Amino acid sequence: MKRKMHLMSLLNVVIPVAAALAVGALVILAIGEDPLYTYKILIQRSLFTYRGFLKTLHFASPLILTGLAIAITFKANVFNMGVEGQAVLGAFFAGVVGFTVKGLAPGWHVLLCLLTGVVTGLLFALIPALLKAYFKVDEMVVTLMLNYVVMEVVKFLSQGVFRDPASGYVSTYAVAESAMFKKLFDTDLTAFFFLALGVFLVMLVVFMRSKLGYEITAIGRNPEFAEAAGMRVSRKIVIIMLISGAISGLAGAGFLMSEKYRFTLDFSGNPGLGWDGMLIALLGNHNPVGILIAAILYAALKTGSEYIGLFTSVPKDIVGVIQSVIILFLSVRFLAAHTALWERLQSLFTALRTARTSTGQRTDTP
Amino acid sequence: MNMLHSILYDLVYHSTPLILAVLGGLFAYQANVLNIGLEGMMLMGAFSSSLFVLLTGSLWQGILLSILCTLALGLVFSLFSVTLKSNFIITGFGINLFASAFSSFILKYMRLANINVSLVVDVPALKIHIPVLADIPILGSLLSGHTPITYLSLLLILVVHVVLYKTKLGVYVRVVGENEEAARAVGINSAKIKYLAILIGALFCALAGANLSTERMALFTSNMTAGRGFIAIAAIYCGKAVPVRTTLYAVLFGLAKSLAINLGLVAGPISGLFETVPYLAIVLVLFAVSAVETKNTRLRGFGHE
Repeated sequence: MKRKMHLMSLLNVVIPVAAALAVGALVILAIGEDPLYTYKILIQRSLFTYRGFLKTLHFASPLILTGLAIAITFKANVFNMGVEGQAVLGAFFAGVVGFTVKGLAPGWHVLLCLLTGVVTGLLFALIPALLKAYFKVDEMVVTLMLNYVVMEVVKFLSQGVFRDPASGYVSTYAVAESAMFKKLFDTDLTAFFFLALGVFLVMLVVFMRSKLGYEITAIGRNPEFAEAAGMRVSRKIVIIMLISGAISGLAGAGFLMSEKYRFTLDFSGNPGLGWDGMLIALLGNHNPVGILIAAILYAALKTGSEYIGLFTSVPKDIVGVIQSVIILFLSVRFLAAHTALWERLQSLFTALRTARTSTGQRTDTP
Repeated sequence: MNMLHSILYDLVYHSTPLILAVLGGLFAYQANVLNIGLEGMMLMGAFSSSLFVLLTGSLWQGILLSILCTLALGLVFSLFSVTLKSNFIITGFGINLFASAFSSFILKYMRLANINVSLVVDVPALKIHIPVLADIPILGSLLSGHTPITYLSLLLILVVHVVLYKTKLGVYVRVVGENEEAARAVGINSAKIKYLAILIGALFCALAGANLSTERMALFTSNMTAGRGFIAIAAIYCGKAVPVRTTLYAVLFGLAKSLAINLGLVAGPISGLFETVPYLAIVLVLFAVSAVETKNTRLRGFGHE
């Protein structure tokens, strides 16, 4: 029965991905390119070459984090759409600490920058958290609005006080060398990937084994019942949002220090780290292991998209189209756990079990 | 005086797309389908109207084709959320991301940074100056010199009010939203009503988008809707989807935007920060409305509406 569940949740992921690839293929055909060749480049370059695969892992690092940040709130039925803004703001201030503080030992400087990112993300998540928990202000709209506020504020700051005049476009100064993650094995991979893995392991324990993980599930199912059962829902929502904000800030800071090194207006990319995280959380069904796999697969799509531009004339924005169609199809559960077929199997199972226990009782009685 | 004129004029200018989005979006809200996809539908309207104007060389053909395109997107949303019973919040986000990704994909493919249709659309000529009204001091600034869709949107406030409260369709929409079982019991095809409600929203968003890009600037730039769809959702929440009340919240945002732009002009170096004012205003308004509501309905437990 458990295997059947796994198979079903797997199919619930495979169907949307296949459908999205089909829609993407239609779009590629429509502009007169070869979809199969495009997809071949996409997959081969990102997963089946040594450098490509490590690059994929490198790009997966922030996505694992934003995926986890989204999942922890979505699972509690709290919609933190502010992961994008929290990551960007975390990255920005990590960058500021990266180029203003000088003369620190590399390890300490990296730590200080990461910590700045975490604290920034956490503090910024505090606003929607308190509004949601104590005044029941819709967190989705608030976090979305605050994303736009973040965009305007970092634009203002990077065009003004923190602008690097030597750069031809709007950008802050680059972080000091002591605040950069070093490239490992002569590839794009850095220690940030292992840091993300560490956070993943911690969150795995939180989700699967801790009291908080249980409470998150309970609140997600039915907040009134959770409150009646003695969980202090308002406080838990604040804690969940703060964890989400802290992880988002870490994601942004790490991405800046391992890949971009300086803050530009297109730092987060299009559709952005936070939105990628949403796709990943949904693909992974809000389960940490699922998120890890989904993040790596999605990063492969991103890495591959860079090669698409080199080998074909398909714009790499095709990946965004595929991503949005995946989300669209993921919103439908094609094989629900409560289909008629499923019900019948279940009743059969319980019938068998009652039969067995009743025969067991009969043998017990002398 | 000149400043007051610009503030009043911009108030209507920036309120128009929002008024259209809230008027369209409130139908779905009344029918108990939260349409997060307003943003994407508006973006699709903005993008496809300028694209088709560029391709056909005609303003009205372009807008007509754009309406069809946006309705198709609305149909996809209805298909998923009503027929396939999806999690419609996630479907809506899919719609938003799709509109954004698809428009940037096409722009890249056509090797354009933005779509400029100023050769086809003569923006100043579209503005209607109302003879007598234009000379009245404050009313003239408010109501004269706008584009056709702007006047249409003002008219639609009344139309939507009448449709929602005085026609069979309006009653059906509200009944479906209130109690779907009961609606079905008396023979209302609830799925059909929901489809209609969502499609009305898509139609209005198409107009809002066309107004935003083609009609008032003759220009489309990537992601130019900049969260207006979500502002519309916030306005619908605050106004409880009552047409006139919801419109007032939309106008409140238009006011914040207009003040931010006009005061930003004289603010010097910090004018960039004024761009945040409209978004912060929405957060504050939501906060005020929710705080009043929680105070009035103080119940034991969590999650009471």
